[in-house]
Amino acid sequence: MRRLGSQPLDRPASLAAVLRHPQDPPQPPCPPTAQGVPRHVSPTPDPRLRRRDGFRKDDADPPPRRVAAMSVAQRVSQELDVELGQEIGYSIRFENRTGPKTLLKYMTDGQLLRESMHDHDMSRYSCIILDEAHERTLATDILMALLKQIAARRKDLKIIVMSATLDAQKFQSYFYNAPLLAVPGRTHPVEIFYTPEAERDYLEASVRTVLQIHATEPEGDILLFLTGEEEIEDACRRISLEVDDMIRESDAGPMKVYPLYGTLPPAQQQRIFDKAPDALRKGGRPGRKCIVSTNIAETSLTIDGIVYVVDPGFSKQKIYNPRSRVESLLVSPISKASAQQRAGRAGRTRPGKCFRLYTEVAFKKELIEQTYPEILRSNLSNTVLELKKLGVEDLVHFDLMDPPAPETMMRALEELNYLACLDDDGELTRLGSMASEFPLDPALAVMLISSPEFYCSNEILSITSLLSVPQIWVRPNSARKRADEMKALFAHADGDHLTLLNAYHAFKGVEQNGGDPKQWCHEHFLSFRHLSSADNVRAQLKRIMETNEIELMSTPFQDKEYYTNIRRALLTGFFMQVAMRESSNSKVYKTVKDDQLVMIHPGTSVASPYDWVVYNEFVLTTKQYVRTITNIRPEWLLEIAPVYYDLDTFEKGEVKSALTRVAEKIRRRQAIKGGR
Amino acid sequence: MNRERASGHNPDAEDDDGFDPTPLENQRGFGAGLHKKRITFVPASASNGQLTTTTNSQQRPVQDISSLYLNLVLPDTARQPSPVPPEPATLCLPHSHPPSALDRSRMGLSYLSTHGWDPDGRRGLGAAQQGIQFPVKAKPKEDKLGVGMAGPKKGAVVVAREKERLLDAGKVRKMVHEEKRRAERIRTQLCGRGGDLERYLGPGAVG
Repeated sequence: MRRLGSQPLDRPASLAAVLRHPQDPPQPPCPPTAQGVPRHVSPTPDPRLRRRDGFRKDDADPPPRRVAAMSVAQRVSQELDVELGQEIGYSIRFENRTGPKTLLKYMTDGQLLRESMHDHDMSRYSCIILDEAHERTLATDILMALLKQIAARRKDLKIIVMSATLDAQKFQSYFYNAPLLAVPGRTHPVEIFYTPEAERDYLEASVRTVLQIHATEPEGDILLFLTGEEEIEDACRRISLEVDDMIRESDAGPMKVYPLYGTLPPAQQQRIFDKAPDALRKGGRPGRKCIVSTNIAETSLTIDGIVYVVDPGFSKQKIYNPRSRVESLLVSPISKASAQQRAGRAGRTRPGKCFRLYTEVAFKKELIEQTYPEILRSNLSNTVLELKKLGVEDLVHFDLMDPPAPETMMRALEELNYLACLDDDGELTRLGSMASEFPLDPALAVMLISSPEFYCSNEILSITSLLSVPQIWVRPNSARKRADEMKALFAHADGDHLTLLNAYHAFKGVEQNGGDPKQWCHEHFLSFRHLSSADNVRAQLKRIMETNEIELMSTPFQDKEYYTNIRRALLTGFFMQVAMRESSNSKVYKTVKDDQLVMIHPGTSVASPYDWVVYNEFVLTTKQYVRTITNIRPEWLLEIAPVYYDLDTFEKGEVKSALTRVAEKIRRRQAIKGGR
Repeated sequence: MNRERASGHNPDAEDDDGFDPTPLENQRGFGAGLHKKRITFVPASASNGQLTTTTNSQQRPVQDISSLYLNLVLPDTARQPSPVPPEPATLCLPHSHPPSALDRSRMGLSYLSTHGWDPDGRRGLGAAQQGIQFPVKAKPKEDKLGVGMAGPKKGAVVVAREKERLLDAGKVRKMVHEEKRRAERIRTQLCGRGGDLERYLGPGAVG
């Protein structure tokens, strides 16, 4: 077998739970059978296209790990000397490289889930390997529950669940006490150190620990875990400055510091694999590199050469509150399992050390055992829609490994009900069935499907794609003012959604006129990468719209209703994300029904916000913000979402009285019209 | 530039108002940076000194590779059946609980109840209704306090740490004088004015 050294491909799967049906005799994990087509499925969590509410641009977003499915398929096909897409293939969202000859298919968990919507028995596969199950993504959890059901129906299906966790028994008992197969991890021992007392400032302590390691420990690279982009950049700056001092003063070796987080451009992410710098002069102290990372480096990314891990014990975690309907990313203490995983990163190449910036008592008492799986921390409206489409009726007894709270489930059902994806009895409607075809959040899908009613499906399609990728605006610290000036060129006074659309149209214009879009984006502080991926998403969504016979149309640009139509169409999906100004000239808004007090995010391009705005996301930092807003008129709410804005059932308050006045005005106007 | 850097990454030298009252000659020298302040570490206690995977495997002699890894994932404790708790000596009726505060008209609730979930049953979802009953909660963290460091309690008065001051002879004299006056005042308050106490106890009793 040829060795291809360059691609990091090892999976630290130290354990594997192997499922077989209780009646079957034990079997080796994956026999290369002649009968049938064993196709492996190697899911890596794929970032859901969009999360509602909460930060978008930040680090909880797993890096595009669809790349992993792709690169593994590539490597395996190379080693077996076959063409990629023939015997060995892959399928990720928006890209399918398989053929009739394919025996082995790599795909993300989300992709397999989507496939099973149309093939409830997964009849195309004779063997399914579910890798990285310990990450417990939403899709993995649902897949496991489905596979459990399917296993009862299909005796011939082989299921292998691979997990790198010490919590194997939970997996085993969940899968009817399936045989457990342990695969040794290739790790070296890691010595663990704690601080004798709790730290006052974990950021400063971690910077100091890194410097201390650099000054006193033998050769080996350092990995420091922090929570977010800002913190990481800050730490990198401080460490570099201090190291310069150390070199001048005490002849320390050189140290390269690299940040690592999800939104970092791939080229910069790649730099973490650079070799550590050489000693400054012959015989001098050896150089090393220090990587300051979010928890991407905890499981999904393996960097060789790490010998020292510094673990302050925090990470940013997504959390969803079904009462306020806000999904936010909060800095929270990690779990014990997570801490062990972090420590393990130090033992990849040789025995290592892990410095925990908390006491051993705190480790035992304050940290929870396992990180809450994603299904307990997410808005489930998308999931419920998928389950409905999968034919799961009994959401109460659906056998999930960790069932979510009833309230979260109720909220999801109600949201889908308001969006008319489910009827009052909870049955999937035609709209809901169509919405589930789109790899989008239900609100976005519903908006897209109903956009032809407002003669602007082309524009809504563009906006949906733009909302499905990370922020396209680039605002480097060094040139904030210039970036803001450039953004102002595209600004539309009535809404950030429209501003996005303007920027996209300008981008397409440059492409069509034969300009250099990359250069143009650079000059205008736009992210070429994100704009082109929005373009790609748009093409894919367009294809789905065409198969569902959703008409693509635009209002003529000269028409004065051009933008109004778009603003109205936005409400068809986002009528539940509306905020009303508390009093005229106040800066504080109140979200409708949830009564959260919010401010408008300073990055907005809306010149003078009306009393009513629709927002795309809710950002919870030290203050509560709504981001990406567009002005709307309250009349539209009553007209477009009469069920949600039914005044008879509306809770008493300012919002209700304001809406009642609006309703009164409409009635009077109609009366006058009728009188003539 | 020196001065700026030295205070720039030494948080202790930074005051609230950003002004450092320390005269230039008293400031710590160049390079007295963060790495000079050592963070101490203690090794993990014996049982936990290394990642569990490595220690556990050394605990028991094992015959073959498969049992080695089985030992690794299923420690002894997990395989032994847990002892049956003794029967309680007293009996009591099951508690009745107040009904849940959920709005009964919610569409989601009616859906879940048609499938057998009882809002007052104090159960979760799942095959055996074993799921969590309430959503996972988290509170925003806005400080940099480390794990295990309790933040100031709500409503607690935060006492500002007194600034360090440089003293000279004049200041010391003033301080001593101040102290003397305070002691005098307390004594008069406690012992009364005009030597009442001296009259009772005889001379030399006070002071």
